[in-house]
Amino acid sequence: MAADETDFEAGAAGGRRMSAGISAVIIDDHAAIAAGVRYWCEQADPPITLVDAGSRLADVWTGPGAAADVVIFDLELVPGKPEFGELRRLVDSGRRVVVYSQHADNFTAIKCVDLGALAYLTKREGPEHLVPAIRAAATGRPYTAPSLSGAFIADDAPGRPRLSPREAEVLRAWFAASSKDLVAAKLNITVKTVDTHITRVRVKYANAGRSASTKSELVSRALDDGLITLAELNQTSL
Amino acid sequence: MPDDLERQAQGQLRRGLRIAMLLVTAAILFGLSLSNVIRKLDTFTAPAAQLAAFAALAAVLTGEAVLVVLGRPWGALRRPAVAVVLGASALSYTTLDGHTATTTDWAFGAANWVGVVVLLDRPLRSLVAFLVAHELTALADLVLIEGASQSALARFATGSVTVIGFPLCLSVVTVVLGRIGAAAAAATRELERVRTEEAVATEAHRRRTRRFAELSGTTVPLLEGLADGSLAPDDVEVQRRSAIEAARMRRLFAETDSVVDPLLHELRHCADVADRKGVEVELDARGRLPALPVPVRRDLTEAALTALATAESWARVTVVGEPELVSVSVVADCGEVDLPRPATPEVRVEMFGTDATVWMEVRWQPTRRTSKPAPLVAAG
Repeated sequence: MAADETDFEAGAAGGRRMSAGISAVIIDDHAAIAAGVRYWCEQADPPITLVDAGSRLADVWTGPGAAADVVIFDLELVPGKPEFGELRRLVDSGRRVVVYSQHADNFTAIKCVDLGALAYLTKREGPEHLVPAIRAAATGRPYTAPSLSGAFIADDAPGRPRLSPREAEVLRAWFAASSKDLVAAKLNITVKTVDTHITRVRVKYANAGRSASTKSELVSRALDDGLITLAELNQTSL
Repeated sequence: MPDDLERQAQGQLRRGLRIAMLLVTAAILFGLSLSNVIRKLDTFTAPAAQLAAFAALAAVLTGEAVLVVLGRPWGALRRPAVAVVLGASALSYTTLDGHTATTTDWAFGAANWVGVVVLLDRPLRSLVAFLVAHELTALADLVLIEGASQSALARFATGSVTVIGFPLCLSVVTVVLGRIGAAAAAATRELERVRTEEAVATEAHRRRTRRFAELSGTTVPLLEGLADGSLAPDDVEVQRRSAIEAARMRRLFAETDSVVDPLLHELRHCADVADRKGVEVELDARGRLPALPVPVRRDLTEAALTALATAESWARVTVVGEPELVSVSVVADCGEVDLPRPATPEVRVEMFGTDATVWMEVRWQPTRRTSKPAPLVAAG
């Protein structure tokens, strides 16, 4: 079920799949988290190669960590000090980042997306979201987990992108159910349509965010795929 | 412990007394003493010194007038002011040439009042110390410089009765007034406390009665059935009903807690019931919740409560607060559930089920705007 959900978000642009195995580097000061993520990656089909950088940021930039496709980033290596600056540096150097954080607040989630992270997950979200998020990020595509959906619906910051009623409804349902099959069945649409709505919202947020290579990649692909039109993007801001 | 009420009462009393003292002392200094000084000016050997002493006392009194207007105490200026008063009287005595404690001595009966004015808000012992110092200054002059004659000492003793006695009486009155003020404030506080306790007790009783009435509809029949044997504890349906009633009671107890987000607080209590049974519960909340009345909260939590109490192994509860919408969603493997109709017309329930998974969403959409929403933190 989980794999199907992401195949669309990861494969919407023409089904380009990585032929070689995906590799990821995790930076997290909790050994148990890294071990858990390693287990999930090994169990994934096909398996994902994981490099454990511990809490050493240098290992993301040099050695096997530097070659990894995806960076799984614990935002708070030092308690109380979210590493937004480091996230920005990773994004600016072209790395594809999945933020995996114990923070559940809207501000942090939207700030990470704004800085150019391809996915934001809270640590309450397990392999059913993390594995698809890593796969999506490896191909430069976003993954919108339920918690991030919740943050999008509750976002009341000035200048936030404008969502259509249907987009808001799908987002709310995805946040509530945490299963795209269930959302599709309830709203009487296909899983593919569910994904389209979620991706459209995600692209609107990417478009409103800071300039970054991930942003232009994301937005131009959505335009190419006809997911969203330039006119729609230009009028998204309130 | 003094509180605002007491401070206010005391403050008013003190201010009144200060103004009265200022007026009385001004009358003594500028009325009696000034006329005395002017009339006897020719008889003084050093009129300039007498005038200087008078001016010093007048300056201290003017200072007090300014402070009264500003509503401020003497503070750090108090000691210098007392020194000026004692110095002025000493200057006056030493240049009187044997007239200390006679009718020519204008300072003996005036400087004491000026000193009292400065020390009015200090403890009684400061005032007594000042009066003693004032008395000793005059006595020292009398004994050391003028060579005390018997008649001079007699005059001095007679004069002292008024010079010390009157200010002392006044100070005692000040202390007593202060105590009366404190007692009045304490009595008011006590009265308020008793009234509050009474109100709390009445409210607690009302709540208990209401709680019991609320439980009597569903919980009491269940308990009666279990007691008289008509309901079997090993019946699955009875177990389900018991779990739901237990969760309702938990919610009922949580309703009266005073917390920032009562809706989330009540949901957490419902989640705790499921948690104890080994059900894996996810609770996530987003957005801002407006202040919700108890009947609306009950309608909103009912679906989650029922699903959580009867879930087999997992449940996901989410809350979304938007300005015009509060939605509580629950997805759980609880099978078919029976929900009572919402009591509030603004609440709608949607139910959706696939196989063992049930998804229920309860929405509250007010027709009119409610109070300002409170910020909502994500559920821990």
